[in-house]
Amino acid sequence: MSDSDGEYQASDDGANPNEELATGTTTKTGKQRAAWEGVQRSWAAVLDSAGDGSIDSMVQTLRESKQRKRLMKDTTPLQRGIIRHLVLILDMSFAMVEKDMRPTRQLLTIRYASEFITEYFEQNPISQLAIIGLRDGVAEMISVMGGNSTDHIEKLKLQRGKEAAGAPSLQNGLEMSRAQLFHTPAHGTREVLIIYGALLTSDPGDMHKTIEMLKKDKIRVSIVGLAAQVAICAELCKKTNHGDDKNYSVATDDHHFRELFMKLTTPPITRTKEQSQASLLSMGFPSRISGAGQTMSFCVCHNKLCSGGYLCSRCQSKVCSLPSECPVCGLTLILSTHLARSYHHLFPLQNWAAVSWKDAVRSVACYACQSPFLKLSKAKEKETEIEGMVKIVESKIVSESGRYACPVCRKHFCIDCDVFAHEVLHNCAGCQSDTRGLADESVEFAA
Amino acid sequence: MDGVDGTDRQEGKQDGPTPSLLFIILDTNPHAWALLQNTLPFSKAIANILVFINAHLAVNNANQVAVIASHSQRSVWLYPRPPSDPQHGDDSDTGMDDENKTDTSNLSDASKYRPFALIENSLLHSLRKLIKTTTEADIKATTSTQMAGALTMALSYINKATIAFLDTGAAAKPTPTALDSSDKAVGLQSRILVVSVSGDLAYQYIPIMNSTFAAQRLRVPMDILKLAGDTVFLQQAAFTTRAVYLQLKNLQGVLQYLMMAFLPDQLARKHLVVPTQEVVDFRAACFCHRSVVDVGFVCSICLSIFCTPPEGAICLTCETQLALGDYGNKPAVIPKKKKKKKRALDGGSSRATPAPEAA
Repeated sequence: MSDSDGEYQASDDGANPNEELATGTTTKTGKQRAAWEGVQRSWAAVLDSAGDGSIDSMVQTLRESKQRKRLMKDTTPLQRGIIRHLVLILDMSFAMVEKDMRPTRQLLTIRYASEFITEYFEQNPISQLAIIGLRDGVAEMISVMGGNSTDHIEKLKLQRGKEAAGAPSLQNGLEMSRAQLFHTPAHGTREVLIIYGALLTSDPGDMHKTIEMLKKDKIRVSIVGLAAQVAICAELCKKTNHGDDKNYSVATDDHHFRELFMKLTTPPITRTKEQSQASLLSMGFPSRISGAGQTMSFCVCHNKLCSGGYLCSRCQSKVCSLPSECPVCGLTLILSTHLARSYHHLFPLQNWAAVSWKDAVRSVACYACQSPFLKLSKAKEKETEIEGMVKIVESKIVSESGRYACPVCRKHFCIDCDVFAHEVLHNCAGCQSDTRGLADESVEFAA
Repeated sequence: MDGVDGTDRQEGKQDGPTPSLLFIILDTNPHAWALLQNTLPFSKAIANILVFINAHLAVNNANQVAVIASHSQRSVWLYPRPPSDPQHGDDSDTGMDDENKTDTSNLSDASKYRPFALIENSLLHSLRKLIKTTTEADIKATTSTQMAGALTMALSYINKATIAFLDTGAAAKPTPTALDSSDKAVGLQSRILVVSVSGDLAYQYIPIMNSTFAAQRLRVPMDILKLAGDTVFLQQAAFTTRAVYLQLKNLQGVLQYLMMAFLPDQLARKHLVVPTQEVVDFRAACFCHRSVVDVGFVCSICLSIFCTPPEGAICLTCETQLALGDYGNKPAVIPKKKKKKKRALDGGSSRATPAPEAA
């Protein structure tokens, strides 16, 4: 009985249980509860805190708090491994036939994996990826190391028809990914991401030796579990990530699974000097030729006839798509836009702070999209609702006034623009669009 | 309650073609327009753009338009007008009075379609206010324009308008990812038209590129109409978002260009031959000398571009010690020559042995 009380309290605070459980249970003190034991009772939170207020507004607030939670990231500009080499290992054993995630774990994983691949190359345009499947006790190469997302997705889609069967072998998968990552240059990261549904691994040898080898090869392993925590997985992640256990997480439902999966598209933080050797890379920036009105020619990469393309800046051979490596002279060919795509990881946008009613009178509409804000007088009419929200508001995550302020330009924005600016745009509308006041304000601060 | 329900349903299912939102970013950089004084005065350009806006609104009843000015130091909403700011109460009050005056004079014209008159009114009024509030100091301070800010606001507005249009499902997917929006063409068709006159935007490189990628994710084409100057970034932006980039040679025909190249929305463009760019310059400028490079050197930590390896192999941006790899190594020496040298050396040594004696 006391157990359920404790949990009730937790959801009262508006804290998302997924969030804390995702980090694993080993760090928790006191009552030990594992990820899969937590059940989020969203109805309890609504009834309790909204009281007789309208449920709609409560749902809205809960939604906002969830969105904001996701946005609250550490924004200190950290050194990250921008050039990544990642092996994606998918469990295709008997455990993936389970239907606790719809339609089956296997199909859902393949769907999310193709989304992951698209997003991965969007975020890390000059990175590489390989896919390995674990089926029938052996590791199976699905797609070799490469930088073309469509190739990977096509090969992954072929797996949909094949039945998941047999036992998985973590060791075989890891040894194969070690072989894949062996030739990768030292300036990039070496990562393995495992989606693991099973609660066992049947290995041909000593798993701990493999872990030692991984450590030696500077390979980092992250695991997303689909069922429950497994001790060997936790150990594997901890040892290959310099004692950090945040890279092992267990999904509670399909939304959570997607969230955990997509989180790994962000480039990993560089912790030690050994993890990445900085080096100067020679790269070519070819100009595009549009073949309009000219004869078609073959490209060197696919041997196909095509009209447009890019000429390698060193050897003048034509490749049809970028980024790629020139097949003739081996020069890495990229567009300057590909480099620009990664800049937002290096210069992240600061988190915006919630604005209290005291400060809210300064603005009547969102600075970016001009949609009007709730006025204080109107809000007071709905006081009952506000009282209900207080508990969530107190956590400083959701703004009571519906306004969020950029700490630099101090302009107010709505929740939609907040989410959009941090997840997609990576720009602050206020800071970018008014440079007049900057000089004056700095004088003000100085005085 | 029934009435409300009815309107909701009407809005929900559109019988006609899908409406489109046209977002115009008007570069009002005073320096650049001053140079165009003789060929295309600002007032004439505005008149042409107003005709274009009217044409866009006339295509479909549900079409929307928004205009923002990218001025020398700030970006300002021209239409729709931002709600009045309570801090500057007096300012906005007089503004309202002005508007009311012009409203009565202009809107009473029975021969004019009311939405056209409304936009014209609001746009001209905001423009006048913008020009009035621009001080000489502002103009002297910079010769550039706040393009990145205008693009950021445009994308935020489009994002919000798209959410409002879909309404349902917005809760589940606040940010349409590339995969989500790939199949469904329904929903608000938004596009941005940048009427650009300014040249160099180099110091806004990162924010402009960020907005370009955001536009690409939202599937919003960023059309560029270049009246003067040349900006590589906007050219790249148009290419990335699969939009039209036009550099005008004959400025008098600006309306013609607007009507022919920029009026059709994304759905219509599928069936048309749209103007394409012959050559897109994707070369990068190096961080050390600002020179354009074909083959450059990139720091693996911060992705800075250099034309030659920096001194001591230390990155100028992040100050990391970089490994140079094989670069700069001399080609392997051919062994035959070595042998010859050795023989020569042998001979030399035989000759050298008596040297100390000589000494």
